[in-house]
Amino acid sequence: MLLQLLANGLCAGALYAIVALGFGLIYRTTGVFHFAHGAVYTIAAYLLYLFGVTMGLQPIGAVLIALIGAAVSGVLSEVVVYRPIARRISSPLATMIGSFGIYLFVVNAIALIAGNETKVLRPGVDVTFRFGSIILTRFQLFAFFAFVALLVAFVFFKRTQLGRLLSAFADNPMLVEVLGWNTSTIRIGVFAAGSILAGIAASLSALDVGMDPYVGMSALLMSAVAVIVGGVRVFEGAIVGGILLGIVQSLVVWRLSARWMDVFTFIILVLFLLLRPEGLLGKAVRLEEAR
Amino acid sequence: MNYLFHILVMIGIYVILTQSLNLVMGYTGLLSVCHAAFYGIGAYASTLLMTGWGVNFFVALPIAVIVSVLLSFVVSIPSLRLKGDYFVLATLGFQAIIFGIMYNWVSFTRGPYGIPGIPIPTLFGFAFDSPASYTLLSLGLAALVVTFIYLITSSQFGRVLKAIREDEIATQALGRNTVLFKTTAFALGAGIAAIAGSLYAGYVRYIDPTSFTVAESLFLVTILAIGGSGNIQGPVVGTIILVLLPEVLRFLRIPDTIAPNIRMMLYALALILVVIYRPRGIAGEYGFE
Amino acid sequence: MDLSKRCEDVPTLEVRNLTRFFGGVAAVKDVSIAFPPKRITALIGPNGAGKTTLFNLICGYIAPTRGEILLGHQSLRGLKPWQIARLGIGRLFQDVRVFGKLTALENVLVAFPNQVGERFWEPVVRRAQTLKMQRQNVERAMALLELVCLADRANTTAENLSYGQQKLLAIARLLAMDAKILLLDEPASGVHPAVLETVMNLMTSLAKQGRTVVFIEHNISVVLEVAHWVYVLDDGEVVAFGLPDEVIHDRVTREVYLGV
Repeated sequence: MLLQLLANGLCAGALYAIVALGFGLIYRTTGVFHFAHGAVYTIAAYLLYLFGVTMGLQPIGAVLIALIGAAVSGVLSEVVVYRPIARRISSPLATMIGSFGIYLFVVNAIALIAGNETKVLRPGVDVTFRFGSIILTRFQLFAFFAFVALLVAFVFFKRTQLGRLLSAFADNPMLVEVLGWNTSTIRIGVFAAGSILAGIAASLSALDVGMDPYVGMSALLMSAVAVIVGGVRVFEGAIVGGILLGIVQSLVVWRLSARWMDVFTFIILVLFLLLRPEGLLGKAVRLEEAR
Repeated sequence: MNYLFHILVMIGIYVILTQSLNLVMGYTGLLSVCHAAFYGIGAYASTLLMTGWGVNFFVALPIAVIVSVLLSFVVSIPSLRLKGDYFVLATLGFQAIIFGIMYNWVSFTRGPYGIPGIPIPTLFGFAFDSPASYTLLSLGLAALVVTFIYLITSSQFGRVLKAIREDEIATQALGRNTVLFKTTAFALGAGIAAIAGSLYAGYVRYIDPTSFTVAESLFLVTILAIGGSGNIQGPVVGTIILVLLPEVLRFLRIPDTIAPNIRMMLYALALILVVIYRPRGIAGEYGFE
Repeated sequence: MDLSKRCEDVPTLEVRNLTRFFGGVAAVKDVSIAFPPKRITALIGPNGAGKTTLFNLICGYIAPTRGEILLGHQSLRGLKPWQIARLGIGRLFQDVRVFGKLTALENVLVAFPNQVGERFWEPVVRRAQTLKMQRQNVERAMALLELVCLADRANTTAENLSYGQQKLLAIARLLAMDAKILLLDEPASGVHPAVLETVMNLMTSLAKQGRTVVFIEHNISVVLEVAHWVYVLDDGEVVAFGLPDEVIHDRVTREVYLGV
């Protein structure tokens, strides 16, 4: 029983980790609290539906289009909204509010076009696989493998010049600019990459349980929690946070009930914000200056 | 005619909500996304008192205000130390937690089933049972709230709040306990939101948690951002737009099924444009700049 | 504000063996200085010498690693910035920090201590007194704005004032606060000669009244003109002190500034 719960939690956490990594990548590198990450997530899911079901494309093709759509949406957020805001205003709260505006617009547009009801991509019960005492659906396995693939890619990427560049950029964008790199290109790249990650998670989730226009909000909130819990200062934080969140939620559902899962998740968020804002992987930073 | 009264009642309720959030957001500069939670706490507190203990509306209301103020300390005392994004996230967390409790503690709040049968507010035998009388109640309370807020913000209390918003460190250097002021502003905002909650409960006479969600909190922030904050006029402009826009859409014969979505899209567009081109909103004094 | 009125009993501000580490680096190292009333003390030294850090330590924005901060006999360690300000220590920040969206008048108004109408119930419950005090304070604020030649800009929002005007406004704020001890971080930087004249005259008058004036400055001619006593800081330590003429021309000071 416990093993099954852990397995379920791990697979759910895998998806959290993927979308959270996208969010964390953007947040750490650009400083933008990309509320619209939830909108990008939703766009990907609905593009998948549009091309996969309505137009009957092959799953791979539909997924690819969904990912491209996600990347384009993310980049558009940066170019059309965040950049104009940044040119005029220094407060990150303004960007957060603008980002929420994007989310609100997109989600309502989708609800308008496609309706509020839940859409399912493949009817019927899914194929399951048995591993000892654990039963997993096909999509749980996909989620897990996608996660592992991403983890491997991530570990390699960190060692590359590009990976180090992003870390440096996160700490000091101006310095990186001085060294000859183009800040705006980097930002666009980061938004594209982060959005593709959201698209991957969205596609997997949509294929598994379907979607409605509001799945983006919960994906976003889980991303934010994962990033805070795992730690903002390192990209791995999102991954660790996501996995932990999935497992903890699974256990909470078992011990308490599904209804209290959300409350519990947010209690964890608040506790971390108040007691350990740097997250599990962050170094305990004492604010040197002002109290 | 009844429809006009309905609009006026809602204007009253939303003026109270936006002015109270304005105290926190526009004057003190705290982006709080848990305001709907206090709206809900006010609604639930007065409802439970009225339905469970037969308390009169006008006694339940101040008690609901006190409950909301006390609960606001649970949020503000730990959270006000946090800076920028993190404070906003903390309020978001608390909003979700409070909603979750309203929704899941079924034995206390009846959860998603809501609480029906809220009695009509009566005062010394006079029942506010007609649309006209409730309009008077709603607009009357709104007027009191606006007067109160005007008085306190046009004096030193308001000035200190604005100073904190502009530069907290410099305000401390002038000998002010900024934490105390922020906590007070937050508590006042929560207490006044509870007035709106009680008013709402007495009007629709059935409440459930879905009126007091994260979405509602974010919506209040959106209204203030578009209408403006940091002065008395901004929230009033915001409230008028909020209430009139659905009417305009209805006039344009947009079907009721898609009207809410169109409305939200228009708000969202307005929000983005305002943030980029006019951060202080239509009539406000302050934007997050 | 009547600058001829004497300000009595201003306690001596003193730091003893004050030390503050950031990680492994000592920003302020074993600094001991006394700032008595009626004296204008200048703190000079290259950037990064720890002068602003010293001010931040005194004002309570950061905590010392070691050492004492005394106001008269009272220790300031552990007190919050607002409490230290209430004890009469006023601060002019290097980056001025006026309240941008408030008018010049409001900037000064907000600085008067102990106002009726500051507690949220007072404007409602004690309406008459609140209004009366407000009227009085507006008069006092206008007088202060006159003093710093900003009276005609009373209703301009602070963010629309020039840098020099903002600096004068910040000083007016300090006067409104009736600070007994003034810590001025670079009062002369970035201002017109005319404004500078006003600032220097104010500093001299305030000290004559009986207050303590301490200022950080890079402008040596200002130091020579107004300071009674100078401390030279380098790398967090006091490396020289004395009368302005002697210190400025001292070999050590030159080394410190020119890195010779």
